[in-house]
Amino acid sequence: MVKANNLIFEYVAHNDRGEVEGVHRAIDDVSFDVKKGDFIAILGHNGSGKSTLAKHLNALLKPKSGTLLIKNMDTKDDHHVWDIRQSAGMVFQNPDNQIIATIVEEDVAFGPENIGIEAGEIRKRVDMALEVVEMTDYAGHSPNKLSGGQKQRIAIAGVLAMKPDCIILDEPTAMLDPSGREEVLKTVQKLNKEDKITIILITHFMEEAVMADHVYVMAEGKIALDGIPRDVFSKVEIMKALKLNVPEVTELAYELNHAGIDIPIDLLTIDEMVGSLCRLL
Amino acid sequence: MIRDITIGQFYPAKSRIHELDPRTKINGTFFFILSLFINQSLITYGLAFLALSAVIMATTIPVRFMLKGLKSIFIIIMLTIVLNLFLTPGTTVLLTLGRFTITSEGLQTAFYMGTRLIMLIIGSSVLTLTTSPITLTDGIEALLKPLERIKVPAHEIAMMMTIALRFIPILLEETDKIMKAQLARGADFESGGLIKKARSMVPLLVPLFISSFRRADDLALAMEARCYRGGEGRTRLKQLKYKKVDFWAYNILMLYLIIFVVLRFI
Repeated sequence: MVKANNLIFEYVAHNDRGEVEGVHRAIDDVSFDVKKGDFIAILGHNGSGKSTLAKHLNALLKPKSGTLLIKNMDTKDDHHVWDIRQSAGMVFQNPDNQIIATIVEEDVAFGPENIGIEAGEIRKRVDMALEVVEMTDYAGHSPNKLSGGQKQRIAIAGVLAMKPDCIILDEPTAMLDPSGREEVLKTVQKLNKEDKITIILITHFMEEAVMADHVYVMAEGKIALDGIPRDVFSKVEIMKALKLNVPEVTELAYELNHAGIDIPIDLLTIDEMVGSLCRLL
Repeated sequence: MIRDITIGQFYPAKSRIHELDPRTKINGTFFFILSLFINQSLITYGLAFLALSAVIMATTIPVRFMLKGLKSIFIIIMLTIVLNLFLTPGTTVLLTLGRFTITSEGLQTAFYMGTRLIMLIIGSSVLTLTTSPITLTDGIEALLKPLERIKVPAHEIAMMMTIALRFIPILLEETDKIMKAQLARGADFESGGLIKKARSMVPLLVPLFISSFRRADDLALAMEARCYRGGEGRTRLKQLKYKKVDFWAYNILMLYLIIFVVLRFI
């Protein structure tokens, strides 16, 4: 589905005379392979290159070297740009800055309109997409009056209406309150489970990464760690060295374990913690 | 406080005029304004006045809403009337006030100019009061479409209007937020003369500009990510369709224009 081979990208800073002033390597030799239907989380603190990577997945940026294949289409190939953007939809961080139209359903229709779908089919897709994100009741509303979580669900519906195989979410919950975050994550999980859409979730919330099948941890443009969430988070020292936290439960388990209490260190959820503690009693 | 501002002056109601296709209404307004210029006489202005009154009645919008639009240009209307009254050269002197004279020609021009201006403003208010900004944008895009051959960027104009409509409330909200933040730090937007007031707007406008550029950047990226590549090959969810009311409206408009042209030549 998504395959990256030795991806490299550099931001080049120019001075007033157009000479190269500095080069910042945002992505440094990154390779990974995402299968159809996977749920991937990419973790990293600010400036780790995760957002730059996200923009590559949608062909908004092109790699300096290495290749990135989306459904076997090379993002460097200009002929495929629109097919790539249709099959790998993208949801951004700021819910306000990605809604274009003044009416919810017209915004959802924006993508299909751009790829030239005929009116009747657009109608069907808009209704379908709004139903999936449970926003049908708001079809005729103005997006200005919606909450952050609702706006972000509209943005997801806008991508869904293009019938993508893969959705990339670039910190979709960073600007939302806890209830909005939950709405969005529930929707994302539903899309992955029920509609078998490949999800690439870029985040710095560890609790969100726990839901993924596979986690990549990025630091300074490289993939520093990867594996299933349980393995990645149990490496508490490495995560801390990368200035990343682990989920609270995992951290507690780690501290308890260090204090000499016999408890597994790869706990992820509160239920698991409760179970393990009860077993000790 | 600032959030309550509504854009445009759409007055939602159920009326025949509201039901009309935006293209019909734009064309109607255009030809109504044109009619005010092709013929100037008591009879035709009386006719235009009657037609306008009939349309206003049909909109079911209270007349004071219509007159609201005149308030902001009251000075311009007065100026037009006064200037025409005193400065039109003529032969029949009616009254002399020191260095100024009022001629009957002056009185006539002042009357026509004043009425024309008032009917022009009210005529276009009928359009904006009965058409929501979104439908208005659709109408403009559809009407400009044929001009794309002579390089009029119809789709781009419509897209800009849509984006402006979407972001004006957001930017207003943001202005409010910045204003409060600056007030909390002791900024003073209220006191002082015009120049001092204008100067106190600088700490408000600079952050607002920066943030709107950032928003524009984000939005451009989001649009590109959703396959936006200009108007070519683009389809629309909602297509404008003429209905029966539009057919009748066009007929009435034709009749109105024919009477005008006929009156011009007799």
